[in-house]
Amino acid sequence: MRKAASLLFAGGLAFLLAVLVAKLPFGETPMVLGKQVLAQGAEQTGTANLVTSVVVGYRAYDTLGELSILFTAALALGLVLGKRNAAAPRDPDAGLVLRASADLLLPLLLVVGFYIILHGHLTPGGGFQGGVIVAAALFIPILARPSRGLDHGVLVWLESLAGALFILIGLAALFQDGAFLEPLLGKGELGRLLSGGTLPLLYLLVGVKVGAELTGLLVNLADAEAVE
Amino acid sequence: MNGAALLVALPLLTAFLTPSIGRVSATAARLLGPLVLIYCIWLVAGLWGASLPVSIAIGGFAPPLGINLYLDPLALLFALAVYVLILLAWPWTEGTPGQAALLMLLAGSTAALALSGDLFNIFVFYELMSAASFGLIIVRGERAAHLATLRYLVLSGLGTVLFLLGVALVYFHTGTLNLAQLAQMAPDKLAGAQGLAAFVLILLGVGVKAELFPVNGWVPEVYAAAPRWLSGLLAGLVSKLAVLVLLRILVLVFDSEQAQAVLLVLGLAGFVTGELAAWWARDFVRMLSFSSIGQLGLVFVGFGIGGAAGVMAGIAVALHHMLAKPALFYLAESWGGSLERLQGEARRAPLAAALFVLLALSLVGVPPLPGFWAKLLVVMGLGAKGSALAWATLAGILLITVVEAAYLFRLVGRFYSEGEPAHAAPRLHGWDFTRALLLGGALVAAAFWIVPLGHWLEGASQLAADVPRYITTVLGQGGAP
Repeated sequence: MRKAASLLFAGGLAFLLAVLVAKLPFGETPMVLGKQVLAQGAEQTGTANLVTSVVVGYRAYDTLGELSILFTAALALGLVLGKRNAAAPRDPDAGLVLRASADLLLPLLLVVGFYIILHGHLTPGGGFQGGVIVAAALFIPILARPSRGLDHGVLVWLESLAGALFILIGLAALFQDGAFLEPLLGKGELGRLLSGGTLPLLYLLVGVKVGAELTGLLVNLADAEAVE
Repeated sequence: MNGAALLVALPLLTAFLTPSIGRVSATAARLLGPLVLIYCIWLVAGLWGASLPVSIAIGGFAPPLGINLYLDPLALLFALAVYVLILLAWPWTEGTPGQAALLMLLAGSTAALALSGDLFNIFVFYELMSAASFGLIIVRGERAAHLATLRYLVLSGLGTVLFLLGVALVYFHTGTLNLAQLAQMAPDKLAGAQGLAAFVLILLGVGVKAELFPVNGWVPEVYAAAPRWLSGLLAGLVSKLAVLVLLRILVLVFDSEQAQAVLLVLGLAGFVTGELAAWWARDFVRMLSFSSIGQLGLVFVGFGIGGAAGVMAGIAVALHHMLAKPALFYLAESWGGSLERLQGEARRAPLAAALFVLLALSLVGVPPLPGFWAKLLVVMGLGAKGSALAWATLAGILLITVVEAAYLFRLVGRFYSEGEPAHAAPRLHGWDFTRALLLGGALVAAAFWIVPLGHWLEGASQLAADVPRYITTVLGQGGAP
């Protein structure tokens, strides 16, 4: 009965979507907001990468929401998995090749990650993408040497501070009679590393927060003891 | 005026800092949240006197390009309810820093939903609200809670996909996400079948949290597995913010006869199935969960009436439920479990039993309690609408109200009956009773001041249903159609 109902629901949804797609006027999408961003984005926000002017400029408030969602997910996962039993056995270290390459990868990946974060306002990339690479950089050595672990306290402080600073920068504008999350500082010359006002700063904080959060999440998962 | 952004920013800031502060001092982490909530209540009180409605651009980018907050009496009322109810539910003794952070995330996201004027922004904070409620339910760490949360997660995930699909469809046709601009374009671009499909997708997506008829299977299981104060918060608060979001989208973007018909049918189905299931339930918490589904069905029937009268009817039922259901869940702290255990409870806990009678009378709709006036608004609105569907819905509601009265009074009868059960319910904790009493007291006070409250609600509903006013408030005089 339940299966039949599920099948009926899935079939109905598929039919609805098929009909909708068949009737969609592809190729003639109205570009109401898109055109405005293309026309004014670089001038209003001072970033060469227009995706960034949307993510931490026009829709920085949404980005704050997205950051909070990731924070919530990591927090809830930490609470579910709980504290590790100190006596529980850990996996043995990997062989020499893996350990040596992990050590080599760490600095390289960190450089790539932070490069992508810091150039988010100039070239494709930014805090979310670079943050994931930073998390990978920190997690690979743990995979190679499970016994070593990582200090949770540092990660918790990092994500707290990065998130708090993001909001505080937003509030700073409020105290200068501006709006919440209004870009501050000079826009500078379009295309330079130091341009775009506070937008690259916000993106750096996003990168640090995403990096710390994903690392914490992965470490938590790796630390989870198998249920017999 | 720009300070309205603090209503969202401060709870989120607190949430980010709480885990770190908790590493230094758990007490500080536990006390920080309530302090911020009280400050937010004070902020809302300050905004109340300002000239409303008003639109506030975030980031200094004028809407529709940037995101805006929209403050009208209804938005402020719901924001106030968020802070007050979370403050009331605050777990002073058992709470961990993680739990405190999750509650502040819930406060920030629900307040953001009340104030938002942008469709995608609503989606983001709706997601945050979902994530925070998953975390709070699972925190207790019992196996039943894990299982219930997993099912809830899957159903919510489905809802999220449908919601996003609806938003994408709207964006595809209009090229904008700002609610005011959407309201401007909707009669032109979203009047056809595509628009109705987008509405149904969004309705089903948001409906998961609003306990809408076909997507509410998670309700009894989750409310039974979660701590009672949290169930009260989910039923009383989280579902109401989903309702407010749907109301905004309905009034501004999809204000059509077909959309109202969909709401009438789904709302009546929710009311009928919820109340019938509550009649069958043999467990106090399950009974409350099903009754919650029924009450939210009534809210959607109210919105299905359409116009300012419909807004007022739906919001009145929602506000009444927002007071009554958390109070009942606080009582359930000791009364949870089989209804058999409550035999003769009136002798053991006369005050709590009297409070239950009061809440039950209001839920059924006995004058002069607020529940009566709320139901009356729905009934009169349906009568005034006059279509065949409205009359059928009206008949259904009156019929099922008898069922509602039957199961609630059956329980009241059990309270005042002779005989002792084998395992009587434990004594109610003093603080839980006080919280329930506060909410019950608010209900009685509302009954005394029902006339000014009704006038205020009428004005707020007319403002919420005034689409041209909304458009000019957000987009300026140039935005007038």
